[in-house]
Amino acid sequence: MKCSGSSDQVLLCAFLHRVGGQCFVIQARQHERTDFTPGMACSILGCRLVSMKNWLAVAALLPLALIPALSQSNQTSRLKGTAHPNLNGLWQSLTEANWDIQAHAAQPGPPQFGALFAEPAGTGIVEGNEIPYQPWALAKKKDNYEKRFVRVNTDGVRLEPLDPEAKCYMPGTPRANYMPFPFQIIQGDKKIIIAYEFASASRVIQIEKPGLPPEDSYMGWSVGRWDGDTLVVDVTHFNDKTWFDRAGNFHSDALHVVERYTPESANVLNYEATIEDPKVFTRPWKISFPLYRRLDKSVQFLEFKCVPFSEELVYGHISKRTGK
Amino acid sequence: MRNRILAMSILLLAASAAVAQTPAVAKATAAKTKQWQTPWGDPDLQGSWSNATTTPLQRPAKFGGREFLTEQERAAQDKDSTIATDKRAAPGTPEDVNGAYNGFWWDRGLSDGRTSLIVDPPDGRIPPLTPEGKKRQADQARVNRTPGAGPYNGPEDVELYTRCIVRAALPRVPTGYDNNYEIVQTPGYVAILQEQMHETRIIPLDGRPHLDAGVRQWLGDSRGHWEGNTLVVETTNFSDQATFEGATKNMHLVERWTRVADNRIDYRFTVEDPATWTRPWTAAIAWNQSGPLYEYACHEDNYGLYGILAGARAEEQQATANRAK
Repeated sequence: MKCSGSSDQVLLCAFLHRVGGQCFVIQARQHERTDFTPGMACSILGCRLVSMKNWLAVAALLPLALIPALSQSNQTSRLKGTAHPNLNGLWQSLTEANWDIQAHAAQPGPPQFGALFAEPAGTGIVEGNEIPYQPWALAKKKDNYEKRFVRVNTDGVRLEPLDPEAKCYMPGTPRANYMPFPFQIIQGDKKIIIAYEFASASRVIQIEKPGLPPEDSYMGWSVGRWDGDTLVVDVTHFNDKTWFDRAGNFHSDALHVVERYTPESANVLNYEATIEDPKVFTRPWKISFPLYRRLDKSVQFLEFKCVPFSEELVYGHISKRTGK
Repeated sequence: MRNRILAMSILLLAASAAVAQTPAVAKATAAKTKQWQTPWGDPDLQGSWSNATTTPLQRPAKFGGREFLTEQERAAQDKDSTIATDKRAAPGTPEDVNGAYNGFWWDRGLSDGRTSLIVDPPDGRIPPLTPEGKKRQADQARVNRTPGAGPYNGPEDVELYTRCIVRAALPRVPTGYDNNYEIVQTPGYVAILQEQMHETRIIPLDGRPHLDAGVRQWLGDSRGHWEGNTLVVETTNFSDQATFEGATKNMHLVERWTRVADNRIDYRFTVEDPATWTRPWTAAIAWNQSGPLYEYACHEDNYGLYGILAGARAEEQQATANRAK
């Protein structure tokens, strides 16, 4: 709130602000209902115009004002002092896409662990369930799947499992959004941070003067803009080292992801991403799923620094163990 | 007498100037404070910041009780830290390999004009250890090896930074490069993204209690609140896998961020750990505006650690082969 004036004036402004989508601008000698861009600072609407003399007019309008407020209980809340929807919160998807973004039946896990690490079945998040691979790329995807748990020597030095998740690599975008871990959106008025628990990955969404990164990266370079109530994030400058899931779906460094975050209700964001990679796919394709707000009492963002968990897998072959 | 009158007039002039200026200065500061405010009315610390400086944490003995460098000393130190990184040792020597990073790679910043970052105790030094702290450090010293001497049986024998787990325990003091932080605020939260290792400290401002004491994290558990224009953050729940200057996991950390200019934040931390130090101590470090942060992938393709471990195994094989001869 940027209201100035007496405390009565500020109170009134606070009231106008809370009403949200509709706002009543009360002026010295007239009153009129005006469409109000939600979240617009009251200072624009002219707190200056309201004084104690007009309290009668204000009181008369109160019941009228409450009607739109009640009828819009589903109204998207606004980031205080801005015109944008408030996307803040700890969010998580409830899909089985991290195992396989396409529809799949349940699969056994490593037999020594019984049912513990078996894979749940899922209906997938890919629109039409088809990933339009070029023929060579489809063959590589199948090879990735076959070798996903196998430690392969890629450069004469390293002997590593192929799935980058197993190595605790930053998971890439959009995969980080459907891993079975929460992530937090911290929405500033100039930039937005998305912090992921998995591998402590973070993204800064640049909104004003985004510039360009000097190098490709795991999570990509994120540039955001608002399309009505939707946050649209254009993500570029990826490297080719992340996968979409544990099933070996992959991309190249030509990956381009356009994400759309749209508030559906107070506790649900609809998430959609268009995926384009002319080196790997024959056409752009889409994924979509809801993100749910974590409402558990006392829930908070926690660390999942998995580097130590991955070290035996990554460095075991060049480590000396007691009794080895 | 004439001189006295002159002196008096000067004093009076100075005093009237001070009286005239004080409200103006106060007004300007108030206007700035207003400017450094988020749309929802919190003090605004948002932006990209760097805490790089060559000013050391502790005051070197040569400065005695002196808090500030002379202008000459400062200029000399800045000149030296700018060019010293480009001086090369004799090619092929271990010093040459160890010092392979030249000025292009370093981002150490310059001196801030003081002789130490520590402002309390006034001697600019970490306070003496308690008897318990002394005993613990002596025990650790018996276990610790000379840095670089090995053996390197596995990743656990290598420091946390080389393993890419954390750059350092909190609180963060400046280091050789990538001293960058991004602050983003929203109502009820402050987020601080640390370039190394790309983790975000998410600090709730709603006064909720700390995590259960059994939940320990590399970067602890932070809670914040505003005191005037200062963000005050208290952090507990540290892990015993990382330590700040030899403290225990029960170290209590209080950090303060205050915007003092468009391009600068005054950052201070106070640490307290009766199991380690005889008294709390405080350091002040400027956070200066810097460019945007880029992804610091470290664990991904960590050839340094591969090289250390693979090299140690190769040496063992060589030694075995030599014995067999």
